[in-house]
Amino acid sequence: MSTAQKTLEEVHELEGPPVLVGRPGDRALTESLLEPVLGRTRRGWLLLLLALGGGVTFWLISLGATFAIGIGAWGNNIPVAWAYDITNFVWWIGIGHAGTLISAILLLFQQKWRTSINRFAEAMTLFAVAMAGLYPIIHLGRPWLFWWLIPYPSTLQVWPNFKSALPWDVFAISTYATVSFLFWYLGLIPDLATARDAARDRARRVVYGIMAFGWRGSARHWQHYRIGYLLLAGLSTPLVVSVHTIVSFDFAISQLPGWHTTIFPPYFVAGAIFSGFAMVMTLMIPARRLLGYRQVVTERHLENMAKVMLATGLMVSYGYVMEHFIAWYSGNAFEQFAFLNRWEGRYRAIWLAQLFCNVVAPQVFWFRWARRSEVVLFVVSILINVGMWAERFVIIAVSLTRDFVPSSWANYAPTWVDWGLLFGSISMFGTLFLLFLRFLPAIPIFEVKELRRELEHGGPGVHDAGPGHAVEEVRS
Amino acid sequence: MSALFTPRANGIFKAVLVILVAGAGGTVAALMGYARVPYGTGQQEQIQQPVVFDHRHHVQDDLIDCRYCHTTVERAPSAGIPSTELCLNCHSQVWNKSPLLDLVRASWFSGQPIPWVRVHRLPAFVYFNHSAHVNKGVGCVECHGRVDRMAAIEQVAPLNMGWCLDCHRDPYPRLRPLEEITSMTWMPEGDRAQLGRELARKYDVKPRTSCYTCHR
Amino acid sequence: MPSLGLPIYGQQSGLDARRWRTLEEHDAGAPPASREFQPGADLAPEGLGRRSFLQLLGASAALGGLAACQVPREKLVPYVRPAAGVVPSVPGAYATAASDRGYAVGLVVTSWEGRPTKIEGNRDHPASLGGTDAIRQALVLDLYDPARLAGFRHDRRDLSWGAALAELGALARAHEKDQGARLRFLVEPTSSPTLADLRARILRRFPRARFDAWSAFGEGQAREGARVAFGRPLDAVHAVGAADVILSLESDFLAHDGDPLRHGREFAARREPANLNRLYVAEAGFTVTGGAADHRLRMRSADVLGFARAVAAELAGRHGLGALAPLGAPAAGPHAKAAAAVAADLARARGRSLVLAGAAQPAAVHALAAAMNDALGNGGKTVTYRESVVFDGAGGGVRSRLGALATELRDGAVDTLVVTAWNPLHTAPAELGLRESFPEVRSSIVLAYREDETVRAARFRLAQAHFLEAWGDLRARDGTATIVQPLVAPLVECTTEVDLLAAFAGVGQLGAYRIVRDGWRARAGFGPPPPPAAGREAAASPADTNRGVPRDPFELRWEEWLSAGLVREGAPAPATVALDAERVARAIAAVPAPAAGLEARVVPDARLLDGRHSENAWLREFPDPVTKLTWENAALLSPATARRLGIASGDEVELARGGRKVVGPALVVPGHADDSVTLPAGYGQRVQGAVGRVAGFDAYPLRPADDPPFAAGLEARPTGRRVLLAITQGHFTMEGRAIALAEDASRLGEAAHRLDELRGAQPTIHAPADYSKEEYRWGMAIDLSRCIGCGACTVACQAENNIPVVGKDQVLRSREMHWLRVDRYYEGSPEDPRSVSQPLACVHCEAAPCEYVCPVNATVHSDEGLNEMVYNRCVGTRYCSNNCPYKVRRFNYLDYRGTVAPSLKILQNPDVTVRARGVMEKCTYCTQRIERARISARNVGRKIGPDEAVPACAQACPAEAIVFGNLNDPASRVSRLHGDARRYDLLHELGTRPRTAYLVKVRNPNPELA
Repeated sequence: MSTAQKTLEEVHELEGPPVLVGRPGDRALTESLLEPVLGRTRRGWLLLLLALGGGVTFWLISLGATFAIGIGAWGNNIPVAWAYDITNFVWWIGIGHAGTLISAILLLFQQKWRTSINRFAEAMTLFAVAMAGLYPIIHLGRPWLFWWLIPYPSTLQVWPNFKSALPWDVFAISTYATVSFLFWYLGLIPDLATARDAARDRARRVVYGIMAFGWRGSARHWQHYRIGYLLLAGLSTPLVVSVHTIVSFDFAISQLPGWHTTIFPPYFVAGAIFSGFAMVMTLMIPARRLLGYRQVVTERHLENMAKVMLATGLMVSYGYVMEHFIAWYSGNAFEQFAFLNRWEGRYRAIWLAQLFCNVVAPQVFWFRWARRSEVVLFVVSILINVGMWAERFVIIAVSLTRDFVPSSWANYAPTWVDWGLLFGSISMFGTLFLLFLRFLPAIPIFEVKELRRELEHGGPGVHDAGPGHAVEEVRS
Repeated sequence: MSALFTPRANGIFKAVLVILVAGAGGTVAALMGYARVPYGTGQQEQIQQPVVFDHRHHVQDDLIDCRYCHTTVERAPSAGIPSTELCLNCHSQVWNKSPLLDLVRASWFSGQPIPWVRVHRLPAFVYFNHSAHVNKGVGCVECHGRVDRMAAIEQVAPLNMGWCLDCHRDPYPRLRPLEEITSMTWMPEGDRAQLGRELARKYDVKPRTSCYTCHR
Repeated sequence: MPSLGLPIYGQQSGLDARRWRTLEEHDAGAPPASREFQPGADLAPEGLGRRSFLQLLGASAALGGLAACQVPREKLVPYVRPAAGVVPSVPGAYATAASDRGYAVGLVVTSWEGRPTKIEGNRDHPASLGGTDAIRQALVLDLYDPARLAGFRHDRRDLSWGAALAELGALARAHEKDQGARLRFLVEPTSSPTLADLRARILRRFPRARFDAWSAFGEGQAREGARVAFGRPLDAVHAVGAADVILSLESDFLAHDGDPLRHGREFAARREPANLNRLYVAEAGFTVTGGAADHRLRMRSADVLGFARAVAAELAGRHGLGALAPLGAPAAGPHAKAAAAVAADLARARGRSLVLAGAAQPAAVHALAAAMNDALGNGGKTVTYRESVVFDGAGGGVRSRLGALATELRDGAVDTLVVTAWNPLHTAPAELGLRESFPEVRSSIVLAYREDETVRAARFRLAQAHFLEAWGDLRARDGTATIVQPLVAPLVECTTEVDLLAAFAGVGQLGAYRIVRDGWRARAGFGPPPPPAAGREAAASPADTNRGVPRDPFELRWEEWLSAGLVREGAPAPATVALDAERVARAIAAVPAPAAGLEARVVPDARLLDGRHSENAWLREFPDPVTKLTWENAALLSPATARRLGIASGDEVELARGGRKVVGPALVVPGHADDSVTLPAGYGQRVQGAVGRVAGFDAYPLRPADDPPFAAGLEARPTGRRVLLAITQGHFTMEGRAIALAEDASRLGEAAHRLDELRGAQPTIHAPADYSKEEYRWGMAIDLSRCIGCGACTVACQAENNIPVVGKDQVLRSREMHWLRVDRYYEGSPEDPRSVSQPLACVHCEAAPCEYVCPVNATVHSDEGLNEMVYNRCVGTRYCSNNCPYKVRRFNYLDYRGTVAPSLKILQNPDVTVRARGVMEKCTYCTQRIERARISARNVGRKIGPDEAVPACAQACPAEAIVFGNLNDPASRVSRLHGDARRYDLLHELGTRPRTAYLVKVRNPNPELA
């Protein structure tokens, strides 16, 4: 073990960490990567699930309160008619961006390092979008009428208003959810087949068998698979940009100071990828430790993701600067007041926290040691998640507290239901993720095997740590 | 080891997929259909009234004008449901022993109103005004149908918003001279839409489709 | 068309105030209204069904067309006998009057199938001129109050009215032997001729009995002042409109003193640049009148006399009004310069000036004001004096009113005390010891509308009828009488003051209707009443009276009186007066010099008056016109004083004076006088209902034992606790934005240029929609110069549009539902600012930001350019509110209707949808009134007349500051105002093109005080 580590250190100095540690054989890979799925339930996993279960209960109670009491159960008021609800919505949607980016765009750019983390990220994307998708419905005063946002010929002869951004939200989110799901599931099929074949008991074999859609790994299967996967990748690439662009329209088309900004689409997309990668990191680091994925999810992956976070973080910072510049340059008193209010107003603390988390914190990634330190990465990624939530709150709620006519100014204070919906949805998200780790192969086994073959023919960034070492890695 | 699935599995699997997809679409289609068929709109629903009142008899045999009982139809939003007193204007003389009218007489002496059952229901947020229509040449029969042929009143029109809008957008084929407003049988010779246009000019018919026309 | 003997009156909509019908069927025969309330009968075709249905709306609406199937069959309940004049689904309007400190305020009340729903002013009545105030409009809510008293109890025995009448009769007879020596009455001040007759009858029967009149904040000091000046207790009637220069000595004459509605109308007419008047207000608390002033001189109430004398001295010294010499006294104080300027201004406007004294000020100030008006030659021009037609007992201050009675009670010299005055145990100064002595009275009889402290202590309590259920009469200040006619048979078992006094006069069996009617027959010089039989017969066949062919000539006159709401007969002529300067001088000398120290001013609350409206939820949630505080009262003090005492807004403070303590929240009010604390009374009563209990503290303990109701010697210290005050406006400065504009008349010219940037066309990539071809282009104009900020419009809107009351907690969460709010902004230093009031509701933008963001087209534009909010389409995304720059949209965050008592549901206006939970709502320009006017006009093939479609706010506004009409009619008032030089658009730069235009407030400051 220690020797292995030393050799690794040396190599890292030379050419950066590998995308795959060692050359485990197919069998070894299958065993190691399926172990969390087919092996026995771990106690840590159970305890974590129970803990999150508490949060989920809180979430369900809060949802119940919202439906029973109405939006009045929240802290929203006039003028602050949107607050935690839409903040959470935009936050989750943003998080849901890493998946498709990694899977689709990096695939098209043939980034090797994506292979072992893409499914992980896609799963996270799905669950995040599921959480996000709830808010547009529950934030309605009369949620049972949500289907009026969908265009269909009704006996009322009334249609949705296509000038509004909200119906387009419906399209954007549902499309994104559908495509991400197909993409994720298509990728799963070969591994589900592997699980089916590796499973010992009949029950698992039947279940995985059905889910595997009768995959036999024949040449024709693989050919169809490749085409389909590539098509979906091509399909979802524009979505990465479009979804959050449309979400940003929810604010950009309004004329509220602080919302009324043309820079929102790029700024929101950058922010989305920023927070998405942060969330992947937040989940990956513990998973990698606990489930022994160290060997396939290496410092290389972490470092690259850190670089992406640094880049998108800088874009977001640029967004902040531009917002202020435009507010000043426009000479519009309302606009200027809105941004002064962020620095001087009652919610100053949240604004400063946002700046620290999103602008200051990521700067450590200029340093290699930080990019490679699990602890630093974990802490910073958490900070970024918090910071991005704060950003959305500042944009949405704080802008609303101070608009045009001073007599209508008022402040906002959340209720326990607001907190319940925030932390509850995080717990629900975590629960779904735990279930995913337990019952589905979180690392695309066949892609790793494929990668190894490529590497054997002298791909870059590979070195020989010796088979023995590989076995150890697997055992650890 | 034995095959996990028999060859039939493929067929079943595909069938399930088809059913799932078709089922989802079918449900939506069914709901949309339901909102359009008479059963869904409550048309042709037989309604038991407390007093067996036969419009056929009163309109056809006795040739009583609608406005004799529905007194406020020309000057109020509500057409007006006749008071017991009004019933007894005649029925204190004719059929004043008929058991069919026991409830009416009971109402008169006890002072308790006759609880008629509403047939034509509009949602609470719809402010329909009879006078506005009757004074512009929209006859009773256009919405209420051949009441003179109904033993018990039933709803003949769907009474949904689309149906209202159809007429508000193109009222001409449904207009008639004010003299014929309560006639159940009036039929012009020639193109009714053409006549409607002339009447619309004459009565200054300008149906609006702004929401506040009906919703307040 | 068949008429079926339906009445000739009342068939038109309630907006036509010239054609009311009478309701005398109520008393004789079977009243239609009472039949209305038989079981099930409240489901008239267009009536309650609409709302009970709406309760089911929620889910069923979701299913749109399918809804029908889930909803149970509604019943259609026709009349058994058609109620004369009641056309289901068509409201009628009836004239009546409510009492304001004993005087009549003429009203027109809208009634749906016998259900009164809306109170408006009677445009022909001298004390209303069509306007109303918040309080008068809110009275209709009391009618349906589920908590109102019902029935009659004597020593814990419930009685029928018959039995009660018998026991009252027996009680009365028992007093005959000693001529009523031990019989006393404590009544509200009232101008009712009928009650006057009854008092006379009673005193004939019981010569040694006595009537006292009591209300905590009466006009006793004013009449006393007149007695000092002219020798008899006269009422001053002020022609505010005729005065070019007005000096108010703490008189809140625009909101409270005298005939505020008439004053407001006349004053507003003089705030247009053409013929500006100038108003000086010397006051301690910030009042509505103070907000309208050109110069507001803040001083403690006790210092007002000194200032008045300084002005008098100036007038005598510099301007040759020698008569005032003995009354004046030069002042050194901070207001010396002001006094000189005011005096000069008054002197310049002899005969066209006016000095008013506030009701709270001592008689001497009123006398001095009378003397100044006399010297300035204003008598008969801007002020006339009339014999008071209000019975006010001994009049004068607390002691002369209640002193005698209190002593008699303490000595047990009273066996029977009949109380119709409102809750004297709560309002009378504690020194008089009523709380202790009243329960000892052997038979104490209290007539009251709600359970209160006095009712609790009474042996015999009688539930009082609401004035919309009762027959009676009242006079206006100028003597014009109004018959108070009921619109509905009593909803609970109750009686009236007339019936009660009649029982003691020995005519209890007649009933209020006959007593009032016969009284007027006599007053109008008609023969003796016909035998009762005939009378009953006459009324028993409504058809006859309604066809206007009554049997007896008096009937015709009676009909006219009732339908017009006016009786001009017997109005006394103005009195000729001669000033007795000597007595005035003596009275002034008798006033002790103002003591130093913190002054406590116990004042009638802007909403609850002396507390009698404490249980009225509309008024509780109605923001105080000045502080915007809802639901409760607070100790109001100036920023400087607050700093000195270490108090901040929301601090709970302990206030002590003369050994009495009260604890309540403090609220810092810019512009309040220093060293003075204003304490609105009426809150924190010992016996309260669900509404009153919400918040507030009792300020009466700090009231001095005798008038005036202010005195020094107050101690205030914070307790360290905090109170959350539900204030609807959090920010009182405009941040330098062009929101509510005010300009000095002298600088109006140059202001016009700046205004051009706030109106007119703007560059836009879209050609604006053109509505000039439409038949109607509805628009509104709000003249800030006329607006006095009283807030009557807010309550008018609430009553007309079924706007819910949300409660203090929801107001704290800033979720109040008022569609129309009156914003108030301060300019200048927080110590002595000037203020502007700005009514703000949906301005109906032609390019509305709310519309394009709504995903379901629930808010759209009409062909006439109105911004329509369609509740039944709304799914509640609330985006429209976020994007509304004026923040005038209101959202039903909770089901504000779920908890409403059934009796209150029938108060709602059937013409307006009751909004469900989760639905956005906002001002509709009272579209229901527009559509009603449109249909009745189009049915007879004509255009909508100029005054036919009037929104509730414009109708109620006493100052006519809100004007509504058709902008495509160049002759309409609103068109002219939109073209006015002072017109500007709110947030014009946003390009929303609002249909509501504002007119700059004009101030007319005195250059000498610049």
